[in-house]
Amino acid sequence: MLAIVFISVFSALAFAAGNYFAVKRKDPGLPIMREIADAIAQGADAFIRHEYGVIFKIGIIIAIILGIIVSWYTGIAFLIGALMSSSAGWVGMKIAVIANVRVSNTARTTKSMGSTLKVAFQGGSVMGLSVGGFALLGLGFIYLTFGKFLNQLSEQQLTIVTNWIGINFIPFTMTVSGYALGCSIIAMFDRVGGGIYTKAADMGADLVGKTEAHIPEDDPRNPATIADNVGDNVGDVAGLGADLLESYVGAIISSIVLAAYIFYTSKSLENSITASLTIKLLKYPIFFASIGILSCIIGIASLLIRKNIKKPHTALNFSTWVSEGCTIFFTLIFTLIYFKGENFGILAFRFGAISPWLSSVIGIIAGIVIGMLAEYYTSYDYNPTKNIAAASNEGASLTITSGLAVGMKSTILPVIILGFGIILADFVGGLYGVAMAAIGMLSVVSATVSVDTYGPIADNAGGISEMSKLEPEVREITDHLDSVGNTTAAIGKGFAIGSASLAALSLFASYLYTQAGPGHTTGYSLIINLMDTFSLGGAIIGAALPFLFSGILIDAVAKAAQQMVMEVRRQFKENPKILSGEEKPDYRRCIKISSAGAINQMKLPAFISVLTPLITGFLFGAKFVGGLLIGTTLSSIMLAIFTANSGGAWDNAKKYIEQGRFGGKGSSAHAAGIIGDTVGDPLKDTVGPSLDILIKIMAVVSLIMVNIFGKYNLVGLLQK
Amino acid sequence: MKIYYYLTIFPIESLIASNLEPTKFGSYLSTGSKKGSYENNIFIEIEEGCSNFFDWDYAKKKCVPKENGEPKHSVYLSIYRTLENTPIKALKSIYLTTKDGRTLEIKPEIFDNNLSEKKFYIYQEICPTRPLIVTSLKPKDYVKNITNKENKTYIPTIAFADIKTISFHSENTGSLGPLYDRNIEHLHNCVNEVTLNKDKLFKIVERSNVDKFSYQIIGDGIFVGDNQTIIFYRMISVEDLRRYHYDWARSAQIF
Repeated sequence: MLAIVFISVFSALAFAAGNYFAVKRKDPGLPIMREIADAIAQGADAFIRHEYGVIFKIGIIIAIILGIIVSWYTGIAFLIGALMSSSAGWVGMKIAVIANVRVSNTARTTKSMGSTLKVAFQGGSVMGLSVGGFALLGLGFIYLTFGKFLNQLSEQQLTIVTNWIGINFIPFTMTVSGYALGCSIIAMFDRVGGGIYTKAADMGADLVGKTEAHIPEDDPRNPATIADNVGDNVGDVAGLGADLLESYVGAIISSIVLAAYIFYTSKSLENSITASLTIKLLKYPIFFASIGILSCIIGIASLLIRKNIKKPHTALNFSTWVSEGCTIFFTLIFTLIYFKGENFGILAFRFGAISPWLSSVIGIIAGIVIGMLAEYYTSYDYNPTKNIAAASNEGASLTITSGLAVGMKSTILPVIILGFGIILADFVGGLYGVAMAAIGMLSVVSATVSVDTYGPIADNAGGISEMSKLEPEVREITDHLDSVGNTTAAIGKGFAIGSASLAALSLFASYLYTQAGPGHTTGYSLIINLMDTFSLGGAIIGAALPFLFSGILIDAVAKAAQQMVMEVRRQFKENPKILSGEEKPDYRRCIKISSAGAINQMKLPAFISVLTPLITGFLFGAKFVGGLLIGTTLSSIMLAIFTANSGGAWDNAKKYIEQGRFGGKGSSAHAAGIIGDTVGDPLKDTVGPSLDILIKIMAVVSLIMVNIFGKYNLVGLLQK
Repeated sequence: MKIYYYLTIFPIESLIASNLEPTKFGSYLSTGSKKGSYENNIFIEIEEGCSNFFDWDYAKKKCVPKENGEPKHSVYLSIYRTLENTPIKALKSIYLTTKDGRTLEIKPEIFDNNLSEKKFYIYQEICPTRPLIVTSLKPKDYVKNITNKENKTYIPTIAFADIKTISFHSENTGSLGPLYDRNIEHLHNCVNEVTLNKDKLFKIVERSNVDKFSYQIIGDGIFVGDNQTIIFYRMISVEDLRRYHYDWARSAQIF
């Protein structure tokens, strides 16, 4: 049966490779276009290598620690997770810097919106398919090696064991948790590092180039413009891919942990579930995800074979809908066959065999609705963003105020959807159902990441068209595709937050379960008592943590952007021939500033997210960390939605004005809109996405370490 | 090295001799050599020796390449009453330079008064004074009126731009820059005064409007005239800007 997984992995990676080479074979265009694209590619490559060099050292240390204090297989699985996540990020970045110039050249040679869209989407699909493919490749390998060959999926090993320092865990759950942690660590550095890089470059380019020197967007005279384009690839492509890969894996592993612990902790009960059903439940998520990937291949292909595409946004939506429809249909058939005749015992499967499928459909629907809500709050087709544009007429203060209001108000509806989604999924399929809802939402990750990656590729293509001074109609095609990408990016961010929230909540349930020890076989209550002072204290501090984390990130972006501003000013001042167009600016220095800023500044937030649950766990114990996780998760969800939607709405309000509203470009409203956009930039592209990772990485770290700090902590020691 | 003579009319009035050809001169004028300035500039190339008011020999003596062979950027010949001392017939192309140094050339044409009639006109005076005016006078009549020596106040020669008008109650303004951002009610009242009162030929909306003037707002074009002659610089159509001058138009925030 594991063959399904490897068939889907092979299909996804083969399709990705096919698309990769299909894009690469296309003509990269004029020498000037190739020169610009090479500069972007070299900058992105240098940054990713530098970044991965730093992560590699940290990763090796973590793997050794995990190997020693938890188990050797946790350390190995961690490395596999890190390898899979970084491979997906690296491939995504590579194809993005290959596709950008070819998209631009397709627009130049065909003057066709549809053909150009296809090349951009084909490039994006390589990232999307790599995210799904690599995530499942690693998981498939773990199922095969650790589950099958090392028998961790046998009934004998579905039991809580105690390691050499007295830590209790079920072996397979610890293996997959190690895998998830590997993915999380890469995702954290990719998201935080990429987020700081992209916004430092973007803000630096805008603050001096646009605002002071009045240079248009993507003008080759702007020294920071190549760094800005590099940022799109390392932040919006590699960062986003690693983020969603981590959510995807997190959702799958949480369902595995839940199933394993439900089995173990109810072993002695009358209506306990059988070992064979448990093994089925442990495998079901990965089979479900595999069918999801095969469906995404159909969805992606449906766009690539389509002719006469006139509305890019509709075509992209259609591809996602096909993926979702196929996933829903094929997984229903699979589920009915897979669970046929099973007795679900204590599992709260209210609708029998189709309960986990129904829960996953709830997740898919919740994902669609959350994406639509993100679009409603951030697109200039709707009132919230239009109102910000109108408020800009009265100056920047009101732009900021109204943008804050939109962001704050925008939190309630997605949270209601999430809340009721969780309740409904739990009603249908119990806690396992909640995990399946997260998997359902993420089952079409390959399709959504393809659409999300299309955006930065189109953005880069626009930049290359502009810098190469291609004909206006070419620039109009790439500009239009870029603007569609802005909307898909906002939807993607909503989706990323929603899926991260569900994944984190099911990981939290897993966290509570993993505190069970040997002998807890007559039922285990998942209770976190918020009247317990340790839990409450943890929750309060946890709620504040995302604010500290966000503040550090914004500071990091501001510091790097300040350096960029000084550098751009210096270049303009010292070499007037840059502005007159007689000489090229020194792009490399700006790339170096962004790289150094991102690499230096990404460490502190990354360490905070990993070390906070560890330090507080060893000081105050598992209850405190339980509270900490709840506080951090809830506060991060709100803050992530708020920052993503405020930032997106400010960005699009500015674009709405630029289309000739309220005086258009150069008006006071436009000046106010630019200020709003600049304030929103680090919020939507650095803080919001990084919060998605924060909640998951804290949950995974806690999940792995709870048995250690549950046993060895200062408070426990003092109480003894 | 060739010497060019440029009559700058916005934001200051002067006559400058330079070795730089117009697009390079525009870039230099707007962004400076090392001063890091960013400003819109409008200048007109003029014929050498067109007026006895200027010291052409001084220009030839001073406007020579530097020792390292670089062209001389600027030699100021006049900074006061320059336009009025330049014969209209000596005016060649006008150049509109954006804040980041992109320059658009518009060739002169004799104004034949064939523009479509409007109920009212808004004119941005560019040189030598810079008020924003609402008037019922067509461009030719406005030039005649403002340069008429029999009036109590007059200007010998004037340069002004015809300004686009907007619907007062629509958010779809188009890209117009900051001109209509503030005090729109006052502009509305000025329009009413001119259109409802036949005796009121024009009304000053603002006395000086340098900061708010941008190229996006230019309507039919720019007029330069005295009591005898009017030269018209017809603003290039949006379609032609898109096709032939896209970089300038983006820089001028028209796109």
